[in-house]
Amino acid sequence: MILLDILSKSVWAGIAAIGFAILFNVPRRVIFPIWALGAIGGLIKFTAMYFESGIVFASFLGATVIGIISIKMAHMRKSPPLVFSIPSVIPMVPGFFAYNMMLGLIALTSIENTEAYLQTLIETVNNGAKAMFILISLGIGVALPMLIMRKESIKKSKLARAKKTVAGS
Amino acid sequence: MKRLKEDAQSAGNILLEVGSLLMSSGASTHRTRLTMERIAKGLGYGIELLITQRALMLTIIEKEQEHFFSRMKRISPHGVNFRMVSGISHLSWNVLEDNWTIAQISDELKRLKSLPHYPRLVVLSLVGLAGAAFCHIFGGGYIEMTVAFVATFAGLFTRQEAHRLKFNPYLCVFFAAFVASLIAGLAEHFKIGLQPDKAVATSVLFLVPGVPLINSVTDLMDGNIQNGMVRAMNGLMIAFSIAMGLFAAKMILNF
Repeated sequence: MILLDILSKSVWAGIAAIGFAILFNVPRRVIFPIWALGAIGGLIKFTAMYFESGIVFASFLGATVIGIISIKMAHMRKSPPLVFSIPSVIPMVPGFFAYNMMLGLIALTSIENTEAYLQTLIETVNNGAKAMFILISLGIGVALPMLIMRKESIKKSKLARAKKTVAGS
Repeated sequence: MKRLKEDAQSAGNILLEVGSLLMSSGASTHRTRLTMERIAKGLGYGIELLITQRALMLTIIEKEQEHFFSRMKRISPHGVNFRMVSGISHLSWNVLEDNWTIAQISDELKRLKSLPHYPRLVVLSLVGLAGAAFCHIFGGGYIEMTVAFVATFAGLFTRQEAHRLKFNPYLCVFFAAFVASLIAGLAEHFKIGLQPDKAVATSVLFLVPGVPLINSVTDLMDGNIQNGMVRAMNGLMIAFSIAMGLFAAKMILNF
């Protein structure tokens, strides 16, 4: 049952990725890979969350895997890695926490009871911290594989000066 | 390999065109620099670059003669277009490996610029579906998903129309967030569905500034601190506009 839930959430994460891919006007040949990447990222994130690794680390894991696969995809489908990685990572953007934080901030402007104020403040800070750290971990997760692989790809193209198309970087 | 056959001036202009297209289509600073240097190398020139968010500065140096050519170009913001990024990446490799001429580059750029976007209805429905998908991920049922679909659809439509009428971009986001959260909020008001708050929360997620924020982190890690900060600030402004839109809708609904 829990497996089914994780799977269906992952599939929908892929669909959300496609929505953004279309919004960003990606070439038609990369739509299916983006769906797959979004679903894989979602699968890893939700599985990690199921094993109680915390949402920040789970998002980081998902984003890192997306970053790594998108570099491979970039070589296969001849588009830069960011075309794959950005749409497929967007379903993991912590919109829900950011939304709750904003609602909390709005509520804080009008609460007068001290106890209720403290309670709202705690929740707001908690949501805001989660949103911020998830966002940072997503950015780093996507950027890190590119930064690590970049060295390699420059070396490769220097060594193999022949007519090998390295359309990736 | 050809060297200095082409006029340095037209090479500089085409390089600036490529760079400004890349920056406005959502490529990171490092990628823009890399691509411009690659094309310049293919054409047989050395270049020095200053890349900022809103303008490019280029000095092109002829290797054998001691002439140089400098020019600045404003970058006009267009909105993310990954088809352009992908096409220009191809183009740069063609220049390096198949020795494309400036005329060929210019033709290819013209072709890339004329490539069609996806039909409007397709964009609207798929982004609406993405909104429904978000709602499902956060635990909404089918009714909430439908509400999120409708709200996202209407919100994106508003944003496109506002863009067409040439409103300030942050104002466009504000309008979109307002319309989307108002529609989802009306559903909450009339108690449609079991967890209507989920639909409200996910109806504005299509506006999330994913590209500025992720590119900001990439730029910061590349050492392009200035551009990274500008992008982060831009992302925050968009997030703030979304918040204002939500706030306005809440105010009206609670009235």
